[in-house]
Formats: sequence, C-alpha cells, structure tokens
Amino acid sequence: MGDLPPMTSVKRWLVTTNHKDVGILYLATALFFLLLGGVLALLFRAHLWAPGGLGLLSGDEYNQAVTSHGLLMVFWFLSPFAAGFANYFVPLQIGADDLAFPRLNALSYWFYLFSGILIAASFFQGGTFAGGWTMYAPLNVPTYTPAMEATSGGNGTILGLALFVISITVGTVNFLVTIHRSRAEGLGLWNMPLFTWSWLLTVWMMLFAFAALLAAVLLQLSDRLFLTQYFAAEQGSGLLWAHLFWFFGHPEVYIVFFPALGIMFETFQTFTGRRLVGRKWVIISMVLVAVQSFLVWMHHMFLTTINLEIKTLMMATTIGISLPFDLMVFALIYTMIKGRVRFTTPFLFALGALVLFILGGITGVFLGAVVLDYEFRGTYWVVAHFHYVMVSGVTALIGGLFYWWPKITGKMYSEALGKLTFAVYFIGFNLLYFPQFIAWETPRRVFHFNPELTFFHQLSTVGAFVFGASFLVMFATLIHSLAYGPRAPDNPWEYSRTAEWAISSPPPLENWGGRPTYASGRLEFVDDVKAATDGGVTQGATADAHSHEEHADHASIWPFGIGVATFIFFLGLTGITSYLVEFAEARGHSVVGAPDPNIIYPVLTVVGLVALGYTLFKFGVEEFNAPEMPVAERWPFEGAGNTKLGVWVFLASDVVVFGAIIGAYVFMRLHFGWGTWQLDTIQWAGLLNTYVLLTSSFTVILALVYAERQSKRGLLGAMGATLLLALTFMSVKAYEYGSKFADGIYWWSSIEYSIYFVTTGMHALHVIIGVLIALFMIYRIVSVDAYLEDHRPVEFFGLYWHFVDIVWVFLFPLFYLM
Amino acid sequence: MADVRTYTLIYVVLLVLGTGKFLFFMDASPLTYNMALAGTFALAVAKTLLISGYYMHLLEEPRAISYMMVIAVFMVFLLTIAAGYSIQ
Repeated sequence: MGDLPPMTSVKRWLVTTNHKDVGILYLATALFFLLLGGVLALLFRAHLWAPGGLGLLSGDEYNQAVTSHGLLMVFWFLSPFAAGFANYFVPLQIGADDLAFPRLNALSYWFYLFSGILIAASFFQGGTFAGGWTMYAPLNVPTYTPAMEATSGGNGTILGLALFVISITVGTVNFLVTIHRSRAEGLGLWNMPLFTWSWLLTVWMMLFAFAALLAAVLLQLSDRLFLTQYFAAEQGSGLLWAHLFWFFGHPEVYIVFFPALGIMFETFQTFTGRRLVGRKWVIISMVLVAVQSFLVWMHHMFLTTINLEIKTLMMATTIGISLPFDLMVFALIYTMIKGRVRFTTPFLFALGALVLFILGGITGVFLGAVVLDYEFRGTYWVVAHFHYVMVSGVTALIGGLFYWWPKITGKMYSEALGKLTFAVYFIGFNLLYFPQFIAWETPRRVFHFNPELTFFHQLSTVGAFVFGASFLVMFATLIHSLAYGPRAPDNPWEYSRTAEWAISSPPPLENWGGRPTYASGRLEFVDDVKAATDGGVTQGATADAHSHEEHADHASIWPFGIGVATFIFFLGLTGITSYLVEFAEARGHSVVGAPDPNIIYPVLTVVGLVALGYTLFKFGVEEFNAPEMPVAERWPFEGAGNTKLGVWVFLASDVVVFGAIIGAYVFMRLHFGWGTWQLDTIQWAGLLNTYVLLTSSFTVILALVYAERQSKRGLLGAMGATLLLALTFMSVKAYEYGSKFADGIYWWSSIEYSIYFVTTGMHALHVIIGVLIALFMIYRIVSVDAYLEDHRPVEFFGLYWHFVDIVWVFLFPLFYLM
Repeated sequence: MADVRTYTLIYVVLLVLGTGKFLFFMDASPLTYNMALAGTFALAVAKTLLISGYYMHLLEEPRAISYMMVIAVFMVFLLTIAAGYSIQ
C-alpha cells in the first residue's frame, strides 16, 4: 500500500502516514480532549459555587471529575497538542521529507487516540478512576478504597494511561532519530529553529521520564489486575509510588512547557522582527533545565517521611532550576525591547503566556522552600500556581495555533476575532485562577471550604465559564476562517525565518520541490537530478543523485489496525480482575473489592490478542518504503542507520523501565530491612537459566555471522537454536513458578513474592516477545530467503535479545543469590 | 565486527563470570555477604560491558550511542540511590 486518497476521503485519515496529516489528527484529537477535560472542569467549578457543593455531583462523582480533568488535560491535551505541531512543523523546519518511521508515527497517533477512548469509556464501566491525577498510593489500588476504585473503569483509566505512554515512547524514538539524522545539509544543531530545539529537548526528557512512568503504571496495573502488593504493602508503598511518579512528574512540567516556550521564541522573533536576544544562551539554558529537571523531583515529597538532608538538597536544586528560566524570560523581554512589536493574535497569546509564566514561576518558588511548602502543600495555592504554569503553556500553544493556522489550512483568519479570543481568554483565565491565590487556604481535592472564602470561589467559577467561552470564540474564529478567510500566501508574517514559510500554504505532500540545503549559509533548494546530469554547479549535489527520486510510501492501514486490536485487548483487560479474584479466593486469599465478573471481558482480551498478532504480522510483511535522506546532517549519530539508532533509543528507554522496576525492588527491600527480606528461590534454576540465556546470546551472534556469509542453512540453524534456548528458559521458569504454586505461594502472598513474580515475569514477557520475533524471522527466512541480502534485521533482533540477556545478568543475583 | 573465535572466547568468559557470581554466595565461600555483594556487582558490570561492547557492537558504533546508554543507566542509579538514601 502506498497511494494516499484525497483529504476529503475518510479513508485518507485512516491510512495516512504523512507527517502533516498525522499532525492535523493530533491537533484535532487534542482539541477534542481539551473540550472533554474543560466540560468536566466547568462541572466541578459549578459545584464549588457554595461551600459543601451545589449538589450537582456526589462525592465520588466529584472525585472522578477532578481526577479525569487533570489526567485529560496533562496527558491527552497538552503534550499531544504540542506533538501535533511537532509532527507538522519539525520535519519542515529541519528540511526533512517526513519523520524517519512514518508508519510508527501513525501508530503513535492511533495508540494516543485509542488510549483516550479507553478513558472516555471508563466513565461507563462503573466509574472512572477517582484517586486524583497523581494516583498516590494507596488510593491507586482498591485495597483501601474499594468503593472508589474497584471498577473496570478504574482499571480502564490506568490501562489508557499505559497505552498513552507506549504511544509517547514510540513517538519519542521517531523524533529523536528524525531530528538527529534527517536535518538538511548545512543545518547544524546550533542553527536549528528554536521550536525544533525545544521539541528535541522535550523528546529527550520524554525518553527517560515517561519510561519511569511506564514502570510505575505497569506496577500499578499488576496490583490492580493481578492482585500483587506493590502499593498495598504494610510500609513503603506510598513513598515508592511518589518516587516513581515524581521522577517522571517533574520533568513532565518541562515536557509540557518546552514546546510552548519554543513557540514563544518563534513568535517573539517573527513579530518583533528581531533575532532572539542571547539565542545561544537561551539554548544552553534549555539544555540546563532539561538536565536539572531530573534532579528536583523530591520537592513534591516535602510532606512525606523522607529525610531532611535530601529535602534540603532538593530545595537547593529547585531554586537552581529557576535560574536558567530567568535568563529565558529576560531574553524574551529584551527581544521585545530591541525589536518593533506587532501585536498580532499569535504575539498577544505568546506575550500573555510570558506574563502568566512569570506569575506561575514566582508563586512556585514559595513551594520549593521546605518550610513554606509545609504551609502551602495541599491548598489552592498549589492549584493556582500549577494552572498559571500549565495554562501559560496552553496560552502559547493557542498562539501557535493562530501562528501556523494559515500554513496548515491555507486560509487567513480574522485578526479582530483573534484579538477578541485573546481578550476573553486572558480575562477569563485570570478571573478563574487569581482569586484562588487569595483563597489559598482552601484545601485541594474537596468541595468543602471556609464560607468566608465563598466570594472568591464564585469569582473563580464565573472566570471558568468566561474562560470556557473564549474557546467557543476561538472555534468560531477558526470556522469563520475556513469558510470566509482569504487565501494565505506562502509567508503571511513579514519577518518569519523558518523553512516552513518558504513553501506553499498548505505545503505539498512531498514538502519540497528540490532538496533543501543550508550549505551556503541560507536556505536554498537544489535539484540533484539536474545537477548530476547536466554538470551544473549547484552546491551539495551528490553522486547518489537518483536516490532523492526514490518513491516514498505515505499510506498503510496496519497502524490503524494495530491500534484497534490493542484497544480491544486493553478493553478486555479492564475487566479481568474479577476472574483473578475468583482464582485467588479459591486458594485462600482474601480480596477487598472487585467488579462483578462479565464474560465479555475475557472474550475481548482473547479477540484483541489474536487481532494484535494478525495486524502485527501484516505490518511486518508489508512493503513500505520510507527512504533515508541521501544527504543530511546526522551529528552525533553519523555511523548508525535510522533503524539501528531507533532500536538503541528504544533500548535506552527500556533500560529505565526495567531499571525503575529493579529500583522498586531495591527500595522496598531497603524499606523493609535488607537482611529481613523473606524470599526463597531455586538457586540452581537461576544459574541454569543464566547459562541458557548466555548461550542464546552466542547463537544470536552466530546468526548474524551466518547472515553476513549469506548462509541460509547456518542462519536458520542459529535462529532455531536461539528459539529452542528461549523455550528452554521459559520451561525452567515454568518449573520454578510451578514449584512455588505447589507450596501455596503466589504473587499476592507477600510483597517479596509480588516483586519476585512481577520482575522476573516482566523479563519473561520480554523473552516471549523475543520468541515471537524469532518465529516471525524464521518464517521469513524459510518463505522468502529473508536477511541474506540485507542482514540488518538479524542485528536489530540481536540487540534486543542481548539486552534481555543483560537484564538477567542483574536479576539472577538479585533474586536468586542475595 | 569481530570473528567467530572472539565471540566464542567472550562466550566462555561470560559463562565463567556467571558461575563466579554463584560461587561467591555458596556456603563454602570465604567471602562475607558484603564482599560477595560487591564482587557480584563487579562481575555483573563486567558481563554487561562484554555483551554490550562485543555482542551488541557498541565499541564500533558512534560514541554518542554509548553516551545515551550511560545516561539511561545513570538515570536508574540516580533514582534508586536517591530514593534509597531518602529513607535512611
């Protein structure tokens, strides 16, 4: 499949892999989730009109509304909205034809959409998750809150979040490979546009931060679906969750804010007609923030039992992280002072974002100080501060929507309506959140407050509706533009500097007429074919001239198919807990709270799994051409191909996922007392599996040797041996687990055995995935003599398999010897 | 890329190192628990370096890939050590 139907066809949007189409899908879907999260906010703000609530919502409904509002806005609106712009504009800004892996890009989108549908569906599965968007333990598992959480909907929310994180991980791999390996000739990292810079740092932070969240969510799912004890242990659970969540959660603030910051830089430059003051230092500051973001997470834990020394250290690092931001804020202010400002709608939004961010930043410094945090924690001060920062990001992103709207749609919008949107938006937002600073003593997460604060809460509620109305004005403005707006020129903004403004509005499918190059110091387009055939002197023309003409595919139905199959599978998983409860209770385990069994869920699980297998197979055998750019800047990854780098980036993410799960083991064992840990495993089985896995690593490397020698027989033999060794490993594992079950020990028996079964089980799951890949590869070798001409897939599989081996190198001593 | 002989040699070394970890913790081992712990960790790191350097060919890849993996491992140690320290 490769041909793309027209944009008016529904089929186009189901099969497209083109980065601009996927960008539009992200933007539209994120706006839908903004509306959903916004309506929920209006609902509970109306409820807060009077102390104790107006009676619109029950206590549990209020909790559900507040929780899902937070989750939807942070995860399903903010980052995906930025991802929409990144999809559309990062390839254009760096002079690429598309993202490095177009089908994976579409897959990211479909995982994102279906993860959001899981959240929406969870409301109709006995109620969505209601334990707060931070999902603190033990509120995140049913043990202590059966009435709130023991629903399939509660599981659905967390499964939705897991699918969302998988979407992020796939997207992260794609963007990192693209930005590092597909930049136009002459476009060094220093000279990349600032929006692309901000997105590059965002995806680097995502790579490590979201991996920690994935680990946390997987452990929580293990508790919720399979009844393990991570977050219901007698001690340490709350801290374990807080560490894992906030190790992700604080970088997440910058993950959300950086793309908005990038848009602010772009729009300030364009509408002041001046290059950003201190551009180099701004980039260095962003890099510093990205690094520092991983060194402050415990300032979210000042009210827990962590020791004072680490609190003090985190207070210092928190104050430290505000310094690079100061530089960025001053750079923006000086750019305004030195330039000639044109107050267009995008600029007004960007300026508004700056104002809100300054207020949000200053009020955040209070929370970074241990002593002040003791007073402010859990109050509306946090709510107001948090929204000033986050919605500062939203404000800049809305500015980005107006900025790039003419490029995406080819239509101009009405400046008068745009400015009206901004006025209503800005007034509404401040009316909503500023009174919350005054009424800061209101406790978070409940609807009971001191009656003396009623006036401020009523102001806030009025502000919420004004703020909500501003989005209606915005949609009206955009619809008006589509219907009546004049055609947009290639570059409607006089001083815009980036490459997307050098092509038509909207851009053509293939982006460029000629190959973009910055070799001369400015953007030019060269015709490689002409240069190679008529002896032209165009700079940058290469011997490999014809490869630019290579046909690129833009359509595949299988990303959508995998998305649907995964959705069905995950929807099925939401309701399997009750069957696990039956299984556990039959073995003497007592379980608090479980939804009623419903046969539809196991059926959906099986159907989804089968469909997933089928669609993945079709994805694997599909002919889809996404050529690497023949001429590109690739620092610092020149020597590795796109796919190999992609595998390594994925492994870096998996290191953090596995590392966090192993870290959870170390943390809980330290908490319980290292020497008092009660775990009895079969040492010889662990040693035997060590030998088995090491041998399989050897056979995989032999497979690569035979593939290079183009020996089909040798390749088949080595891959077959690897497969047999993997199955041997699983058999030993089955024996181990079976002997524990025979002794009446299961994964719910104690925290020690929960951790043992989950950690080794996660590793076993990786082995099973390896087995499936090996089976697929053997099928391909037998059926089409695969990998003899191009042995790289054998190498990529080997990378994965060796990684699985390395994980076992650590699991063996941790669980069998120590 | 190394030859089959090198791969075989590394395989044998890996088997020996794997056995070494097991021996450290045997009842007959003269090592204390903490010494065995440290020795096992050292052997695990050595095995990881051998597998990643030779079997995964990290030695032949752009150095930036090694840096990326080191950062990932650093993140794990940062989280684990800081979290562990926070409850001391």
